Amino acid sequence: MTMSRISLFLLAMGAGSTLWAGTLKINGSTTVNLPAAEAAEVLRKERGMDIHIDTQGGSSGGISMLGDGLVQLGMASKPVSDKDREKFPNCRFKEIAVGEDAVALIVSADVWEGGVKAITREQAADIYEGRIKNWSELGGPDRRIAFFNKEPGRGTWEVFAHWVYGDSKKAPQVNFPEVGGNEEARSKVGGTRGALSQLSSSWVDNELIYALGIMTKAGEVIEPVTSNIATRKYPLSRPLFLLSNGEPTGDAKIFVEFMLSAEGQKLVEKHGYLKLADLKQ
Amino acid sequence: MTRFFSWLFSLLALAAFFALLLLFVWQSLPVLRAEGGSYVTENRWFFRQHQFGAAAMIYGSVVVSIIALMIAVPLGLGAAIGTAEYLPARLRWVAKAFMELLAGIPSVVYGLLGILLLRNWVYDGFVAFEPLSGDTLLTAGLLLSIMVLPTIVTLGDDALRAVSAKQRHAARGLGLTHAETILFITLPQAGKGLWAAILLGFGRAMGETIAVFLVVGRQDNQLPENLFSLSMLLEAGQTLTSKLGGAETNIAYGDPLHWAAITGLALLLLLITGLVTWLGSVFRRRSQDA
Repeated sequence: MTMSRISLFLLAMGAGSTLWAGTLKINGSTTVNLPAAEAAEVLRKERGMDIHIDTQGGSSGGISMLGDGLVQLGMASKPVSDKDREKFPNCRFKEIAVGEDAVALIVSADVWEGGVKAITREQAADIYEGRIKNWSELGGPDRRIAFFNKEPGRGTWEVFAHWVYGDSKKAPQVNFPEVGGNEEARSKVGGTRGALSQLSSSWVDNELIYALGIMTKAGEVIEPVTSNIATRKYPLSRPLFLLSNGEPTGDAKIFVEFMLSAEGQKLVEKHGYLKLADLKQ
Repeated sequence: MTRFFSWLFSLLALAAFFALLLLFVWQSLPVLRAEGGSYVTENRWFFRQHQFGAAAMIYGSVVVSIIALMIAVPLGLGAAIGTAEYLPARLRWVAKAFMELLAGIPSVVYGLLGILLLRNWVYDGFVAFEPLSGDTLLTAGLLLSIMVLPTIVTLGDDALRAVSAKQRHAARGLGLTHAETILFITLPQAGKGLWAAILLGFGRAMGETIAVFLVVGRQDNQLPENLFSLSMLLEAGQTLTSKLGGAETNIAYGDPLHWAAITGLALLLLLITGLVTWLGSVFRRRSQDA
């Protein structure tokens, strides 16, 4: 990702725009980009389509570039707000759901077996801001909390920050060890005593790592299981959208249809998200 | 004709280097203007508040490289003496071939080995000091020591072999033992070349990204109160390279000051590794001329 940014930046400095007509241009969320970029790769190979896919500015970048008519498809991991629709009156935003991303708060086995099974939003904020440092304060073992923060800017982190602070931009800046990819988060949390991190729920194995339930103010514990995610009862989840201006046509239509096909949905699942069929249960 | 082209391509390489340097300087100007000298001396990196002080990353990079050298230099020079002075020619080539094979392994492989093995060894081995996890500056330093070892052995061996055989024969003829010859004749004569080996190893350690990225913990603003305190070594930290390899570069894109702060790190890295590698090359050339 970073490399493509840099090369794009260098190209823009020298040769001017590298975009040309006849190309299907897609831009937006890095979360949606994972399966979408693979879908683009398949379509390039199998149908010889010319697809340029990028993640400038994340979801908001996808919305504004579609609004400005710079791309045919946007990618977003949040719904298009009324404010966005007002900002781009000429664009009839259409949200096409391609999957759902749920984030679990995962802990290592010793924490789970030590009795910590659920967490409230206030407790999550206290840990994030360093007011709670020991699992004993959550009824667990007397052990320091080894919190691995998901790198800010990652979709998973955005979901977490949005849940705790209402807006990821309001999240305070903190200093914790950081983890990047899902594989890394899983292996580090699994291999560290007293560990806690944020991870896409489909990666939870209930062997090395366990997902905490979310305890509401009323004391109800909501587990990150498919039924709760599909009904939006579990709070740390968000839809994954492709966005188009009105009904997609031409190459854009082919792309959308591919993402909704069994093959495309398999890519959604591969990257740790719930596919549409899971949500309809 | 050959001379013309060799000049042309040398100039091209030089021009590319300076163009790169200029680009980085130009791109990082906003942060240098906003922060001034505190960009390198202050320990505060809070990008949302637009505060950029990279001291902790410079500390991280230097400290992991020094740990790496403290292990790799004695081992590497010892091995170089072994291959250059004791092994028969044929075995020497086998040993060198293996060493160079080690140097060719992609660094992500070392990084994964670090995650699989080294993290746990450090985590369990230093359990008495209660490290929060296995991601520590020490882990990164240990991993780097393995990665720079081949560089030091190969270049050290070359430096020792470059000492003329006549010198050795003369020394033995004067009654010095084999060990004395190595200690008092070969090592001093190869001195510059050995320094080159160490410096180039240091340059490699400073610039290594992905392996460090995977085991250093990537925790910002970790600077010990006392520069020589060792307690920080068992905590997570951040290096220039691990910061540059992270997701923050994606966030920075589009925010001129933040982007400048990130390219500033790249500039620092370029300057430090460039200086060290250049010094190493100078020593290496001097030792070959001698």
